[in-house]
Parts: sequence; structure tokens; C-alpha cells
Amino acid sequence: MTHLSPDEFIDAVEGMLAPERQAHLASCDVCQRELAGLSAVLSDAKQASVPEPSPLFWPHFSARVRTAIDQDAPDAGHWPSWMRWQVLAPLGVAAMIILGLMIAVPKQAPVDSVAVQAPEAAEALQAPENWAMVTALVGTIDLDTASAAGVIEPGVAEQAVLHLTAEEQQELTRLLKAELQRAKS
Amino acid sequence: MSHESAMAIQAWALPVVKPLAELDDSELVSAAADGSRDAFDVLVERHRRTVYQVCYRFVNNHEDASDLAQDAFVRAWRGLKNFKGQSALATWLYRIAVNVCLNRLSAKAPAMETIDSTDHVPDLRIEGAQHAMIRQERAAAVRRAIASLPEKQRATLILRTYHDMSHQQIADVLGSSVGAVKANFFHALANLKKILGTEP
Repeated sequence: MTHLSPDEFIDAVEGMLAPERQAHLASCDVCQRELAGLSAVLSDAKQASVPEPSPLFWPHFSARVRTAIDQDAPDAGHWPSWMRWQVLAPLGVAAMIILGLMIAVPKQAPVDSVAVQAPEAAEALQAPENWAMVTALVGTIDLDTASAAGVIEPGVAEQAVLHLTAEEQQELTRLLKAELQRAKS
Repeated sequence: MSHESAMAIQAWALPVVKPLAELDDSELVSAAADGSRDAFDVLVERHRRTVYQVCYRFVNNHEDASDLAQDAFVRAWRGLKNFKGQSALATWLYRIAVNVCLNRLSAKAPAMETIDSTDHVPDLRIEGAQHAMIRQERAAAVRRAIASLPEKQRATLILRTYHDMSHQQIADVLGSSVGAVKANFFHALANLKKILGTEP
């Protein structure tokens, strides 16, 4: 019969050897010597305890773990904690309104260029496109949403209308009338 | 309203909050996964010694063992959400510690045992100084021999002998088969026998 395999020696060391192989072990000096050597060294290993560190080490270790976790940077794939939709949505609304106003509100022409070109005519040409863009950008945003986002304060809309030029007020009136007509129909 | 009814309503309205130290591992893991650092501190306190011992047996010196154990706990913190409780927390922590050690070993040769780590003072009132010294030297020789084994043999021997893990659990940790674990254990013991037999 063949000698015990490595697997079987481990089973024998742990007292789990199959009965039919026990018979071989009982009659084989080579396997018995090998098993005795393995068992002795395992017993030696079990007795070799780890030296106990100083009692002061453990609280220090816990503090080290805590500090290491604090310093552990979040993975690059994670969003920063402030990047949430509750923050991003109002910011997006605000950005759209500001962008719309920047495009729509006519810039103050330099004093020396006034003589060169007629600003009213140029603005009048551009106004419909600009207002169409503003309408498209902020068309779905109501005053309450903009106010909740902190973009518009109470009374700001009225003040803005008072600051419009005659042409802008005229255009606004036209847009409002068109909107009312559309709402009626 | 009767007194009993009032008490019942009060018990319903005020959930009993157990101190963290009284929670079991799974409750602490759940709290820590939700971001409770205090809950994780309790887990560290409970398992730091065994995790440190796994690491110590790998590297055979206190400094590296404490660094590795710390690294293991940081990784455990990062991976808490992935711990589904299929195994005991201790087994999961051993797995992390073993992987940390194997990664470190592949990058760095093991350091020798430092003098202070063998500075365990025996109780001279109980055993003779000479006997204690022989035992201590033998233990240090065994630790050195273990630390010199090939990585898989070392991991298998440590987890089986000192942490009572089954062959299957060790196979899971090392990503191998039960047969390979038994073969590694056999070769680890055979190599230890050879090293200790020739060591002065």
C-alpha cells in the first residue's frame, strides 16, 4: 500500500484520517516517523505566542487608526459631499437666469461710439432674438422657484421693469399680450 | 388612561438606545457603515489584538505589524459597505489583514525581530529563569522560522494554527482550493521541521 499523501498527513495530524488509511499508518514506520515529526513541529508552533506589546500600545493604536481614517482621502470617483441635487438645482436655475440676463440686457455703449452708430436701431434688431432666448431659458421657471433659489428678492421684478428702456418695455408689453392671447385661446 | 397603557405608549415612543459597547459586531458594522466612527472604534477595540497578531506572525516585528494592522483597519473602514455578513467579522478582518500582509511582503523583505519584541519578561516566581529563557528562545526561533516560509505556506499555517480557521475558510481567503490549502499546510510544517532541526 502507498504511503500517506500530504493531504492525508494533514488529516492524520488533525485526527481526521480515513479508517482504511489508519490501517496503513499503523503498519508503516516511515509514515509514523513523518507524522510524529509534523505533530511535534505543530505543537512547537502552537506554543510560540506573539509577544504582548506594551499596555500603552493599544489606546495609541486605536488613535492611530482613527487619525489614518480621518486623513484617508475620498476616492477620486466620489462626488464631494456638497454636490447634491438640492444644491445643484438652485445653482443651475440661478446660472440660467444670469446667463439669460447677460445676453438680453443691452450693454452700455461707449460714449465715443454713440456718435458712430445708432444703438437704438441695433438693439431693436437684436431684441426679438434675445427675448426669445430669455423666454426659452426661463420659461419654465416661475417667480417662486427663482425666489426659493435665492436669486430674486421680493419686489425685484417690479424694479427691473421700471429700469427697462422704452423699447424694452414696448417689447415686454407685446410679449405679455401675446402670452395672454395664447392663454385665452 | 391606565398606568399600564401610559407605560406602553412611553415604551413605544422612546426607543431604547443601547450603549455601543453592548452592541454585537453585526449591529456595530451596520452603524459604522452608516458613518458612525464611534461604532467603528468599538470594532477596532474588539479586534485589534487578533488582527495585530496575524500581522505580527507574518512579519515577526512589532513596528511592521502595527503598521499593517492599522492599514488593515483603514481598508476595513473603506470596505464596510461591502461586508454582507456572509462570514464572521473576524474572518473578514483576517482576510483583509492577510491580503495587506501578502501585498506588503511582495514589495518588501521581512524585517528581523527586534530586541524589544522579545522583551516579554517571564514570571520568575513560577518558573525557573533558565527554563523560561529556553522557552522564550524556542518561541523566537519558531517565529523566525514561520516568518521565513513562502507566503502561501505562511498564511496557511498562521490561519490554521493560531486562528482556528477551517481549510475551506483559508481557501476562500487565499483564493485557492481546499486541496491546495492542505498541501501548503503540509509543506509549511515540513519546512518548519527542516529549519528548526538545523537551527542552533
